[in-house]
Amino acid sequence: MKEPPDVVLACRNIYVTYGEVVALDDVSINFRGGMIHAVVGQNGAGKTTFARTVAGLVRPATGSLEINGRPIPGGNVNDARSAGVELVHQSFALPPSFTVAEAMQFGADGGRLYTRAALERRWQAHLDALDVKVRAGAQIRSLTVEQQQAVEIARALVTDASLLILDEPTAVLSPEGADKLFERIRRLKERGVTIILILHKIREVLAVSDTVSVLRGGQLIDGPLPAADIDAETLASLIIGPSGRAIAEEDRNSLTGATPPTTDGAATTAVTSAPMLSLTNVTTLSDGDGPPLDSVDLTVHAGEIVGVAGVEGNGQRTLVRAISALADVASGTLEIDGHDMADSSLLSRRALGLRVIPFERNVEGLSLTSPLWENWSVGRLLSKPLHAAIRPDGLRRDCRAAFDDWDVRYSNVEQRAGSLSGGNAQKVILSREMDDAARLIVAAQPTRGLDIGATAFVWDALRDARQRGCGVVFVSSDLDEIFDVADRVVVMFAGRVVAEFCAPFDLATVGSAMTGAQA
Amino acid sequence: MDDIVIAILRSGTPLVYVALAGVIAQRSGIWHLGLEGLMITGACATIVGTVLTGSVGLSLLIAILLCALGSVLFWLVVEILKANQIIAGLGLTGLGLGGTSLAIQAIFGSQGAVSAPAGLPKIGAAFGAYGGLSVLVLAMPFIVFLTWVLLCRTRFGLRLAASGEHPFAARSVGAKPAVMRLVALVIGGAFCALAGAELAAGSLQIFSQNMTAGRGFMGFAAVIFGAGHPIWATFAALFFAIVGAIGIRAQLVFGDRIPHDLLLGLPYIATVFGIWLSARLRGGARGATGGFGELKDP
Repeated sequence: MKEPPDVVLACRNIYVTYGEVVALDDVSINFRGGMIHAVVGQNGAGKTTFARTVAGLVRPATGSLEINGRPIPGGNVNDARSAGVELVHQSFALPPSFTVAEAMQFGADGGRLYTRAALERRWQAHLDALDVKVRAGAQIRSLTVEQQQAVEIARALVTDASLLILDEPTAVLSPEGADKLFERIRRLKERGVTIILILHKIREVLAVSDTVSVLRGGQLIDGPLPAADIDAETLASLIIGPSGRAIAEEDRNSLTGATPPTTDGAATTAVTSAPMLSLTNVTTLSDGDGPPLDSVDLTVHAGEIVGVAGVEGNGQRTLVRAISALADVASGTLEIDGHDMADSSLLSRRALGLRVIPFERNVEGLSLTSPLWENWSVGRLLSKPLHAAIRPDGLRRDCRAAFDDWDVRYSNVEQRAGSLSGGNAQKVILSREMDDAARLIVAAQPTRGLDIGATAFVWDALRDARQRGCGVVFVSSDLDEIFDVADRVVVMFAGRVVAEFCAPFDLATVGSAMTGAQA
Repeated sequence: MDDIVIAILRSGTPLVYVALAGVIAQRSGIWHLGLEGLMITGACATIVGTVLTGSVGLSLLIAILLCALGSVLFWLVVEILKANQIIAGLGLTGLGLGGTSLAIQAIFGSQGAVSAPAGLPKIGAAFGAYGGLSVLVLAMPFIVFLTWVLLCRTRFGLRLAASGEHPFAARSVGAKPAVMRLVALVIGGAFCALAGAELAAGSLQIFSQNMTAGRGFMGFAAVIFGAGHPIWATFAALFFAIVGAIGIRAQLVFGDRIPHDLLLGLPYIATVFGIWLSARLRGGARGATGGFGELKDP
């Protein structure tokens, strides 16, 4: 392994726009070779755009890139790859029907015709060398997320990569999986690979990286700073910026993942009220949309927030669909506010006060091509008979009032829902779902993709709902926010609820339950 | 027995070629409903070309070029203008069916059938009773095998499949999904030309309006039946041909006791049955990769 040159990646005045939005604003930065560099920032700060620009997937409007001292034209993946840059995507870029060997082969060069056996032999050796314990003949879709990520990293290393960029690699992992990943990354560093990690948890940054750079609003705020010289507090304020002053200390920590989360315990008074939601031994039919529920017990009382933790894809979506009458319950009972609702429609469940903030804001939550007031009023129209007359003027007026209450930033209720930012779009959904009649709120990943201000807003909305006596189911794969917001935490693994925890929560115990260790 | 196998090969070969064209397009992410239009263009160009130039080889080349051109047009509409691929495909079919009728009217002054002085070369007496089959029938198994190698055993095939299934993954290793689709459509266009040539000049040496009679759509059905795999789609196409041959044989046996429209319709009924079966077995169109009309590139 040759000695890596001083500066592996040099970016000068990189400027990237998507339409009118400026994603990267005059970013100039140098990364030295043979180190682990972290790039941090909140959602929407431009981290992913930065990674994709370096990898050639995004063409910068102005600015230049130099890799290993060689200038490369932007916006061409082949140029970036031949210069030794590889990117590991947050949601992996692996076609699910491919086998592991095929997924390796399609990104590699050399070797034209192949037989299946030769292909698997070739790549099994590569996987073994990287200590990735996956069969080369296995299909991508049959792998766990940890395995898929390991395969994606192995795929990125099929060429002689000198600069490996990982975009939010820990977002899909359990804490244990993240530790293993960092171990793998350190070994790569020893082999002379320079690594850029896009992260958003300060704790992880300080644990693994040699330098830190902070992006905020598309601008480079500071960096690369030696990680040894910076403390969590300073880094948190760099990430949050001056606008984040109003956020409570507790929330600041969980927003930036600065310290291992703890819970105040103030909110966890013993709940004695009647259950709002009670699932007993619920098993759902397998329907090809994620693992079915397997004997799930879950109780949510009025006035408490129950966090549903777990690595993504372990039945959380099916749980939400079962509660909202979108998955068939094969056996077990599902009661809402004491009424047996296992076979009832969503409409009758909503009549009892069930409200859902769905996983996919832009697909399930909103009709992006419809005006805001129509999006807002469906909740209310649903409860009326089909032949009931609609008074659009009245609805528009109520809609404006509700939006003002919820502090939605919009110009006109006629504007399309697709024109709003993520945070504002989520507020539209909150203003629709968290009305006065709401008694049981299912919030599925309600903060995904939101910036820090909007995230804190959603948390406060959920806490307000608890204060008003609603039962809240809070699904998230981010343990920091679950520990901060929830009163009780259940962990899902392979379609089952494998563990339940009360405050104070311990990251290690909950994390190991996420891997199915104590199932 | 020989004559029924000959009948199956004659009617099955065009279906196989057109199904292969559909498979290649489907793998690249395009549900190709323009197969019918390209196929009839190939049939028309082969016959008319033979009439005008006197050379079968030259007219086959013209047919391939015309179908490739039609495929490029289809690609422009779908990929560059971002039109819905189902609508664009049906439009291409309409263009092919209408365009060939118009061409005959313009060249020959009538819309009657056109017969050519020569057909495709035959495989010859060495094959005994099968000697009357055209070279394209003989070539068919080899072309199927080569297509399988190309799609399932080369990096090109992997990148083509990635372009259809996960365009972002294809882009992130430096492949250009749009270019891959263009290549796929042009290869498919050439196969459609062969399908049309075999249909019109394989044994008949005649072209008449609408003579493809839905075979392009049957080829498309074979793609779904075969889950987008070249070998399975070939078997599906041959299955449709076998049912058709049985229908003709049944006509001879049963005479007027069974309405002969019903027997003529057997291949189409088999197509519906095949789609239903594949839907039961593996979720049909969902079993093949990619969804209808979805070319997501996040």
